[in-house]
Amino acid sequence: MSNIVITDELLIEELKLRFQEKKHSLKKLEKLTKELKEVNTKLAESEALKSHFISNITNEIVNPFTSIVILSKNILSVKEGDWDKVKRMASLIHSEAFNLDFQLKNIFAAAEIEAGDLYMEVSNVKVDLLIGALLESFLPETAKKQLTFEFIKENPDDDNFIFKIDSEKLRLILSNLVDNAIKFSKNNKIIIKRWTENNNLFVSIQDFGIGISENNQKIIFDRFKRLDSGINSLNRGHGLGLSINKAILDFLNGIITISSKKNEGTTFVVSIPEAEDDPEAYSEDGNEMLFGVDEVF
Amino acid sequence: MERPKHFLYPGAIFINPEPYLITTILGSCVSICIYDPVLKIGGMNHFMLPLWNGQGLASPRYGNIAIKKLIDNIESMGSSRSNLKVKLFGGAEIITTTISQFMIGERNINIAKDLLHEEKIPIIATSVGGKLGRKIIFDTFTGEVRQKYVGNHS
Repeated sequence: MSNIVITDELLIEELKLRFQEKKHSLKKLEKLTKELKEVNTKLAESEALKSHFISNITNEIVNPFTSIVILSKNILSVKEGDWDKVKRMASLIHSEAFNLDFQLKNIFAAAEIEAGDLYMEVSNVKVDLLIGALLESFLPETAKKQLTFEFIKENPDDDNFIFKIDSEKLRLILSNLVDNAIKFSKNNKIIIKRWTENNNLFVSIQDFGIGISENNQKIIFDRFKRLDSGINSLNRGHGLGLSINKAILDFLNGIITISSKKNEGTTFVVSIPEAEDDPEAYSEDGNEMLFGVDEVF
Repeated sequence: MERPKHFLYPGAIFINPEPYLITTILGSCVSICIYDPVLKIGGMNHFMLPLWNGQGLASPRYGNIAIKKLIDNIESMGSSRSNLKVKLFGGAEIITTTISQFMIGERNINIAKDLLHEEKIPIIATSVGGKLGRKIIFDTFTGEVRQKYVGNHS
């Protein structure tokens, strides 16, 4: 038998303690429930956006195709010698096809990322040439809005700077940023800078367009998110571009930062570390062999 | 026996009906090697965080997505659920911390165990936790996994 005397005070003390503990766990539970609710809203939102995306994408793909079909038919019936007309229509076809190609690339990239179907194809890339060619491919788009590109390289006279990276992934990331910059620019210019620091490739893309508010800066990397998703929106697109960029950069161990002021413009900066030749040759401290005993499971 | 090799990056999934040697390097990340001893096929995922929070793309960087996808993928190759077995690796705490919110390795291990339990797929071997990274090579034909401890690596 225990010989501890249980007094009223002791009992009250104990009760108090237990109530306190209960209060504490209730508070914790409340906090967790709140977090859960937030995630739930996010998921519901994401699901809603996804179904919106499917109806959206139908337009994005079907409409350009219809234009291409009609325009090319018209070209066939143009009178001989009317080159101006042909050229005009051909440039419209090019523009529609260019957009279509770009959108499809994004959609396939998103599908690959979500399926976990990711590979690294590293090669020695002449980055300045890649950026130059990319900007050139967007020239018909900039002409429509009377925009100009200003490309600032680290070494203005040397196009041969080489960086080890997956060139297709880099191209898609930069295409998305350039495309965005064009969409949200007014008649002005877009400045693209390329430099390196500590084996990291930096590219900044600056526009002088409508800018992004601080609140919106937090959500622009969410998938299917478009800040102006209204039916009258002048800008096309499916809101996948930046979320794809984020995912690819995660894969490449890269970072994207944004600085923006409403009505003054936006600057995106991406930085990507140079890829290793052999992904398995990671050993930073070169001591793999120290632990080099095979265990078999 | 000589088999084609595949290096698995974080956030990716690899599964193939042909025999492969899948290699990956794990720090706080977790990999599940799933194996069907009847069809003699296997696959692997490599996730970095336990749960997708609705932000960004729903990619297999996140445990809840990576585990479901891996099981779906092997089932789509004809495996039946009751034959599947898994081996679990990774989840080291490379950065020492006592704040449970940051113990990513442990949270990654827990989500894997929970979800596999829910899916009723037995875990037949594990090498998880600790402070060292791991390099694993999974033979998808025999189901054998070779492991080496390696220096710090995320």
